[in-house]
Amino acid sequence: MIIATRLGPKWLGSTALALTIAAAAMPAWAQTKIEFFFPVPVEGKLAREMTRLVKLYNESQKDVEVTAAYTGSYDDTKLKAQAAAKAGKPPSVVLMSANFNVDLKLSGDIISLEPMLKADETTREDFLKDFWPALHANAVVDGELYGVPFHNSTPLLYYNVEHFKEAGLDPAKPPRTWAELADAAKKLTKGDRHGFLMPAGYDYLGWLMEALSMSNGGRYFNEEYGGEVYYDQPSMLGAARFVEDLIFKHKVMQQGVTEAGGVSTAFFAGKASMVLLSTGSLSFIRENMKQSYDVAFVPKNVRNAVPIGGASLVMFAGQSEDSKKAGWKFIKWLTTAETLGGWSRFTGYFAPRKSSYDKPEMKEFIAKNPDAKVALDQLPYAKPWFATYQTVAVRKALEDEIQAMMNGKKKADQAVKDAQKKADELMRPYVEQTSLKLP
Amino acid sequence: MARLDRHLWPALTVALLSAVAFLWASPFLWTLVASFRPEGAGSADMASLLPDLHPTLENFRNALESGSFGLYYMNTLIVVVGVLAVQCVTVSLAGYAFARLRFPGRDLLFYAFLLQLMLVPPALIVPNLATVVDLGLYDTLPGVMAPYFASAFGTFLMRQTFLALPRDFEEAAAIDGAPWWAIIWYVLLPMAKPGLVAFAIVSITAHWNEFLWPLMVISSPANHTLTIGLAAFTLGAESGKEWGVLAAGTLLVMAPLAVAFIAFQRRFVDSFVFSGVKG
Repeated sequence: MIIATRLGPKWLGSTALALTIAAAAMPAWAQTKIEFFFPVPVEGKLAREMTRLVKLYNESQKDVEVTAAYTGSYDDTKLKAQAAAKAGKPPSVVLMSANFNVDLKLSGDIISLEPMLKADETTREDFLKDFWPALHANAVVDGELYGVPFHNSTPLLYYNVEHFKEAGLDPAKPPRTWAELADAAKKLTKGDRHGFLMPAGYDYLGWLMEALSMSNGGRYFNEEYGGEVYYDQPSMLGAARFVEDLIFKHKVMQQGVTEAGGVSTAFFAGKASMVLLSTGSLSFIRENMKQSYDVAFVPKNVRNAVPIGGASLVMFAGQSEDSKKAGWKFIKWLTTAETLGGWSRFTGYFAPRKSSYDKPEMKEFIAKNPDAKVALDQLPYAKPWFATYQTVAVRKALEDEIQAMMNGKKKADQAVKDAQKKADELMRPYVEQTSLKLP
Repeated sequence: MARLDRHLWPALTVALLSAVAFLWASPFLWTLVASFRPEGAGSADMASLLPDLHPTLENFRNALESGSFGLYYMNTLIVVVGVLAVQCVTVSLAGYAFARLRFPGRDLLFYAFLLQLMLVPPALIVPNLATVVDLGLYDTLPGVMAPYFASAFGTFLMRQTFLALPRDFEEAAAIDGAPWWAIIWYVLLPMAKPGLVAFAIVSITAHWNEFLWPLMVISSPANHTLTIGLAAFTLGAESGKEWGVLAAGTLLVMAPLAVAFIAFQRRFVDSFVFSGVKG
């Protein structure tokens, strides 16, 4: 393919077949070629950084050549990887949304990484020891390692310091509870400026509703079993009512669905004083926010708790032994403390390895950017990201209902009931194969 | 009163139409304005339709630097032109067969063919991808094109076009001893031009804008098409949008199509109005 690139795209079509044949005929000493799919979770800039990393890896050794393929959003990446695998062209390594592991394992698309650990003469416990404890649950499925955390995030409350001063609030004391949040938001709302805003597009909304229901004492899903979600429960109902109240009762939040891009734009423009966004947006906000801002924990109603977000590296089923070995080698290189730390500083995600934070560059970075420290301090309260059978569809079942509520078409009580019904239907096939399958 | 009416109504109509046209055009206007506005992310007047006093090309520079647009244009062009070229042959021949040839089960076959229109393309992703892999076309541009070589819509359109043509011309040619291919090439196709042009417009826009299928087939950056290249800007899951760069990138992607359609608009319309077919 490299030769084809040099010749220009024009020749690609006609020469692709010949090249494939030529590649197949190459002697055995040729390097193992593997494919690596990655989504662009933040900006185009990250795609370039990822491409640079892969190039660095390819130049650093001779055994493996990685082709990095940019594959759209997290959901598109899953679709493409699964379609490619079904068509007999599984990618070797994929950077996959960390909560897709259960679903992908149940469908048999990804492979257990235990044999690789065994070949390296290490155990799962030893391997995971250096990763933050909150990340383990999403990396392990049914007691076996399936994903290696690559970049992770939690939701974070970003607030405009100048608006706080203007409204007579102390910027050193951001709201810590839902009551304080609603109270501050009321004081901050003025004219066309909203006191509070949160993204409500697909994926983001489900994650933030998980954060709110967890802060309300809930769990969102059964971490041990992929066939249960807790939508029609007090913890989620309270979270849904809270959002509904912020919009319709307190009138501090814009009615309707705002996408993440719109939320950060509103925050930059001073049209929203407090926003819930991912820690993954930290670098972007640091670079673009002109007024002074600060960050705080997600406010709680019952307890402090946030879900993990981000992505893990997984390996697909159906690849050759050589390809597996090469893929595992690449994963290990991508997840060294140095690489993870560098990626973390570049993106704003936190590095999944604790030892990344012992490096001098990282200590210097945190000293310079105290907001990155808040994200880190919130980690002890982090819990696993929801992962069930048919994760995406089950998540959308809730998101569709909450969006209807945010548009004023449904009441919170009805929304969580309908979401539960839809989710139960979606998980029924799995439930009937497992917990309802009786002797 | 009557004179007032004569002036009032056209004026009202024009005003109403302008209002609707403005509503319809405002996204394009905004894209145009935003792409030249300095300071991409989050300037307060980002949503404004008023052009900035100090227009800048910075956004275009950033967009162009974010991807190899030359390569993307080339790849998209290869796909669009390649698909259309093959389609022109297949749909005219199939349309001719369904319109003129007599064979048992013709209508049934035609309706079966039309059923394709009912299928949602995403449902076919996996089977199509398997075929593309079997053909050795995975991660190649011909792999992107292959599923579109035959088109149910095109076949339908050409069949209807041929049916509307009087048989006299063909019969005259046949009497002069023209074989079937000469009849199609010299007699029918020139008269069916409006149908072909209409189909070409649909085909070009569809494949220029297509995202999901190319994303499924293509992995190597060298084979990326424009839409995949553009997605790098638009699919930010966890961050804000750099609206200016986004607008500039969008303009870069749609510009060639927009320019072509504005330039040839007259011609497209003419080809429908003044075609040689007058019964």
